[in-house]
Amino acid sequence: MASPVNPADISPRQVANKSDKKALLDAIRMTLNVQSSAVRLNTQTFNRNRYTATALLPDYSELKDRARQIKENAIANLPALLRRLEVSVRANGGHFYLAKTAADADQYIRDLLLSHEARLVVKGKSITSEEIKLNHTLEAAGITVAETDLAEFILQVADEQPSHIVAPALHYSRERITALFKRKFTTDLPLDTGEELTKFAREKLREQFIAADAGISGANLIAADSGSLMLVESEGNIRMTTTLPPLHIAIAGIEKVVPSRLDFGTFIELLPRSGTGQPLTSYVSILHPPLKATPFAAPGKAAKPREFHMVLIDNGRGRMREDPVLSEALYCIRCSACLNSCANFETVGGHAFGGETYSGGIGGSWEAGTGKLLNARFSELCTGCSRCVTQCPVRIDIPWLNENLRQRMNFEQPASPAKSAFGAMTGSAPEDRVAPLQKQFFANYHVLARAATRFSSLANASARLPFARSLMESVVGLDRRRKLPPFPRKTWLQLHAEQRSGQALASKPGLPEVLMLADVFTNYGSPERGIAAMHMLRQVGLQVELSSCLPDGRAAISQGMIATARQQANDMAQMLRPYLNKGTTICVLEPSVLVMLRSDYAHLLDDPATAATLAHGKFLEPLQLLWSITNDQRLDLAQIFPASGSPHGTRVFYHSHCQQRTCDAAWQTVEILKLCGFDVVTSSVECCGMAGSFGYKRDYYELSMAVGEDLFAQVRAAEAEGGPRTMVASGTSCHEQLWAGMGREVIHPAELLVGTLA
Amino acid sequence: MLQATPQSSLLEDFTSAATQAVATVQVVDRTPAALGDAILHAASGATRILFAPPHNLPDSLFADFASDPRVRMNPTPEEMINSAAGVTEAFAAVASTGSVCIDVSYERTGMVSLLAPLQIAVVAAETIVPQPRDLFRADVLDGSGLERDFVFVTGPSATADMGPLVRGVHGPHKLHIIVLR
Repeated sequence: MASPVNPADISPRQVANKSDKKALLDAIRMTLNVQSSAVRLNTQTFNRNRYTATALLPDYSELKDRARQIKENAIANLPALLRRLEVSVRANGGHFYLAKTAADADQYIRDLLLSHEARLVVKGKSITSEEIKLNHTLEAAGITVAETDLAEFILQVADEQPSHIVAPALHYSRERITALFKRKFTTDLPLDTGEELTKFAREKLREQFIAADAGISGANLIAADSGSLMLVESEGNIRMTTTLPPLHIAIAGIEKVVPSRLDFGTFIELLPRSGTGQPLTSYVSILHPPLKATPFAAPGKAAKPREFHMVLIDNGRGRMREDPVLSEALYCIRCSACLNSCANFETVGGHAFGGETYSGGIGGSWEAGTGKLLNARFSELCTGCSRCVTQCPVRIDIPWLNENLRQRMNFEQPASPAKSAFGAMTGSAPEDRVAPLQKQFFANYHVLARAATRFSSLANASARLPFARSLMESVVGLDRRRKLPPFPRKTWLQLHAEQRSGQALASKPGLPEVLMLADVFTNYGSPERGIAAMHMLRQVGLQVELSSCLPDGRAAISQGMIATARQQANDMAQMLRPYLNKGTTICVLEPSVLVMLRSDYAHLLDDPATAATLAHGKFLEPLQLLWSITNDQRLDLAQIFPASGSPHGTRVFYHSHCQQRTCDAAWQTVEILKLCGFDVVTSSVECCGMAGSFGYKRDYYELSMAVGEDLFAQVRAAEAEGGPRTMVASGTSCHEQLWAGMGREVIHPAELLVGTLA
Repeated sequence: MLQATPQSSLLEDFTSAATQAVATVQVVDRTPAALGDAILHAASGATRILFAPPHNLPDSLFADFASDPRVRMNPTPEEMINSAAGVTEAFAAVASTGSVCIDVSYERTGMVSLLAPLQIAVVAAETIVPQPRDLFRADVLDGSGLERDFVFVTGPSATADMGPLVRGVHGPHKLHIIVLR
């Protein structure tokens, strides 16, 4: 067997196209090895700053609604807007060209520059120009292209693709930039600080701004009513590019067009805050070129009149617009919030979680939309944790886009008798039976779990056998380094049936009826948490019933097996409907299932009436329910669940589940624990890295543990002062990840509270 | 809501946000002498000062400043790229972000506010609006933002692309804002 390539020797360009899975796996190894610390530092800084900056907008939520609405209407009316824009640009004295393909755009720009005898072009950052590989075309025609955004400058020197849609070189640490420049340039200047590197690049580029024949910019937004551009930047290079040379070319995708300059008012508040977390970047230009002021004429050169060309690019966008799923990606304003709020992205960046141009959660749809479906393979790194969904300023359901890409990639797989048989046996919907065995295995986890709990001693013993683990690794890709939690001897439903008679607590009148959902993860994996949650709720006088156990579709949808998820969702909805009709509160322990019922089902339910019932249903996480009862009944939690009586001590470290935070059901737990008298330290990571089955997969084990390291470090930091803390988490995956990383027991908040009763 | 915010509180917010964005802010009396002193003091190290005359504020207000021999109103290309300071008016400012808004459609205003390491912007206190979005409203400043080519300038140029945050990239390294009472 050939020895594996040293990850440090893999160049980003080599693995830019990930249609071959090996490229994706190599890219993960390379980025973890070389880029991870710089990517973490930069994305996590953006992420923190975004939370701070958006919290200062009193009408953040309304602005997002308005932005969404503007984009929905704009994309719906795009053909008319483009016609209107063309009229506006021409009325201003500019030229307008709508390019069907990347090659058309390249050719137009090349011919235009050649006809102006332009030899030197200065360019502002434009990811769209990366998409159409414009530099390549221009350089082949003998035109010198100077990338003037310092990040693009670094990439041009290094010959790498962008790793982030806003800060395309954020995978470079200062030290690596120094090493790169020393390798590529001969200079006596010191290049050992950010200031020195900036000075070096500034002086080099200042000469080019002054000598440039033409400037090429992108555009963050374009207004059809006036031909206005909105250009957001901090370095001043876009101002230089649009102000100094006589010829200005603006290139952008057609999706950047909004009806009116007045619409800029909404986006100017959202875009910088959602991106770098600044209230505004240093410069936001609002221009309807050609500018009226005379361009710069270098000393000794004659002044030329201004000329402006707007080049809009379709390159697959028209097709995306017709696509019922991918059309949503056209709402993207390229702010990068979905990249910075993604735990996997924070750990590897866009050279692994990205393609040749676009990166992050939204990137898969763009790579597929402007190229080939398989170019979106990297979107497998979207775990569906949903942290990006509430951060997106235009509310794009990014996990849903990625689940659909996954489904389409599943459908490209050849059918096989083994896959069909396995699918039929485990309950995959017929059309999903082409999916790889691994996906069908994880999607139908409940079938395996049901069998395993029935024969738990056998299952647990075999899970410890090296032979069995190696078989599981080779057949379904379950990483053998992952310690498997033992299957319990009895399910939640069995334990509940046994305990029912002894648990008759007097219920208080006037409280809501509660149905506890026996989700498959808790029922088969950790019934003691379910029992504790019911005990906790009964303790405050609630009458709690336990549902039967059905798969909810979460596992299936995460594998892109949407037909299977649809089947499961419809069955689940049928079971819940009578309860919802009589106003029963549905209590859901597992946050990923809670989000499934609250939002994903909108995509999955066939019958509109059932969908409407579900949409209006009351679904609550158990401590969220306890919080509302506490407030309604003015309960004294310190009396009921006194921390002083806790066998786990009063010092706790609490990690909430990613999806629990997304649906605003996490802070209540923290408040409750504090009211009971616990000393609580909370995690601040976006996701633990396990994310359902993701961390169990052989291909992603290292990445999952690297993501988890941030969380483990926070636990260690919290324990550095005053000693150990009891680890408390609300999600099944988080339990398993914390257990793997810290090697200690993790309990559910309900177990912590119920523990105080003994 | 806009009318309900007193201009004095807008000035306070503006000053605080601009300072946060690493600009310096100075409030002076609306007289040629006070303005001239303020600009020349801010640009005291400069041997040449670029100046794009105002179109909203009265010319006369800048008379004292413009009479200084270091001031260039019609610079040669060499002077345009080799001056230490550039002075323009701003037609508006934004309280929540500390930005000044520079109209770049007037001759040389774009370059003067961009090419020199020290940028000085002069703005009238009554043109401070609460938020960036107000420049896109017809009922604010008589719809002054709707037709112009302009730039929201928030602090000096900056980058984090070379590792740490560095101020002073392609655009000015320093921004000094003079607010006229």
